[in-house]
Amino acid sequence: MSQLSPHIPDLDLITFYSEKRTSFFSRVSPWTKALVLLLIIVFVATEKSLIMNVCLFLAVLFLYAVSGLPIKKLFQWYVMPLIFVLSLVIILMWNEPGRALFTINIPLMPLTLTDNGLLMVLTLVFKSLATVTYSLAFLMTTRYNYFSTMIYRVFPSPIDQVFLMSYRFIFITLNMVDSMMKALRSRGGGLLKSALKQSKMFAELFGLTMIRSYDRAERVNKAMEARGFSGKYVASTKVPGISLIESIALLMTTVFVLYLIWFVKAPF
Amino acid sequence: MAILQKNVIEHACTHDKNEIIHVDCASHVYPDGSLGIHEMCFRVLEKEIVSLCGPNGSGKSTLIEHLNGLLRPSSGSVTVMGKKVDLSHSGIWRDVGVVFQRSDDQLFAPTVLDDVMFGPINMGLSLEAARSAAMDALKAVGAESLADKMPNYLSGGQKRLVCIAGVLAMKPKVIAMDEPTSDLDPMHAEMVEKIILGLKNEHGISIVVATHDMDMAARISDRICIVKGGSIIAEGKPSSIFYDRELLEESGLKQPGVVQIYEDIARSSGISIENRPITVDELVKTITLKRV
Repeated sequence: MSQLSPHIPDLDLITFYSEKRTSFFSRVSPWTKALVLLLIIVFVATEKSLIMNVCLFLAVLFLYAVSGLPIKKLFQWYVMPLIFVLSLVIILMWNEPGRALFTINIPLMPLTLTDNGLLMVLTLVFKSLATVTYSLAFLMTTRYNYFSTMIYRVFPSPIDQVFLMSYRFIFITLNMVDSMMKALRSRGGGLLKSALKQSKMFAELFGLTMIRSYDRAERVNKAMEARGFSGKYVASTKVPGISLIESIALLMTTVFVLYLIWFVKAPF
Repeated sequence: MAILQKNVIEHACTHDKNEIIHVDCASHVYPDGSLGIHEMCFRVLEKEIVSLCGPNGSGKSTLIEHLNGLLRPSSGSVTVMGKKVDLSHSGIWRDVGVVFQRSDDQLFAPTVLDDVMFGPINMGLSLEAARSAAMDALKAVGAESLADKMPNYLSGGQKRLVCIAGVLAMKPKVIAMDEPTSDLDPMHAEMVEKIILGLKNEHGISIVVATHDMDMAARISDRICIVKGGSIIAEGKPSSIFYDRELLEESGLKQPGVVQIYEDIARSSGISIENRPITVDELVKTITLKRV
């Protein structure tokens, strides 16, 4: 993936950190981390205050940093969620009720950005960044075999099976794309040569990846059948449980989050 | 002298008391109309290493997939442990394991241990029993330290060892390996060779190796089958097959390095070829004896 763009999360780097397991957050039970993610989702879904969401973002960023995870990379990876959020709110932010900041005069439909419109954009941006940052911290401090077992236990079939089968092949497909990019570049190709060539190259890469992935999938299926696969893959890794200290911390955090949501009214 | 085509079909299609697999005049036509194997007669005996030697596209891999039941013959039959392979005998994978040419096709689980446990779990073993079988298999190939690693970050040699362990964990009677040393560095290739010999000598498992590495085939095989155009055109002991230059050239193969060297030395020194060495040790012994 590094061949494509530094702004797309690098799965190899994420896996490197998750397998390295040197930070204190790596020692926290994956179940605890999953429940905290759930709390964060509940918080961002219900809390509308910008201040509160900025505080959440800063808290999560602090956690990410003290876990020894790469901050510079994180800011590069923010580009994708920012594009995603902005592409959604760019339409919604206009003509919100509130104090007008400026107006763009388009015939028949003047667009006014108000203070509430701007607050909405910033709130959504911080909500998304907090969730993305925590999700990355979770991914980068939890071994994949723990993830696979958790998904196997939580999700029904065939969702769990799709996840279990797909993860490893994400690596293989990415390696395939990397190899194809190298092959293209070694013979003078490049993603930024020109708009025309770029789109053609993307189409070629996409087509080749599809064909090769299909071919690979057939061979993998054959190899699985050779070992008696009959449609159900069992994830068997033992996932560390939630310790007593974690249980207490989790309970206190839940109470605190619920208190913030219900009783604390921030000025904006 | 190598047994040539006409004789070999009669010979290989004759049933033997201690045979585990019997392929009886099997042919396979792929959906696109191409012929995978044609009138193939082949058998695997107890505790032997048999090498299928042939150029690319000769039908070695297609034959291997028939041994495990992944492919069914269009005509002819495959019998494993006395049972004819058909839809009613779908548990053939328990008796015949396959190590595929590309390790990445075989390794799909999040960790090495999970991958090696995959077969035993499919056999109906409990998780604890499967874990124990997997660890035993990993130990047998010297890869127990890799148990918690992700397959994606293993070297080519380590992946191959894990693939072998994944099949060994099911304790099959026969293991068929497709190009087991292709893409490996010399050290890992030697390691895989030792494992193959160990599987036969210590675990009593018969091994089928599809390869065009003549040197390796010479070192490890009890029997050589030359595959060409989807059929076995000759079979015999390595010392018979590898000294038949004409047969090998006709099949698109070359003699092993040891045989080439010995024949060149014998020719230039005017010595008659007698002992037919096929390994370096045998070559050294033969040359030393000639000098004395």
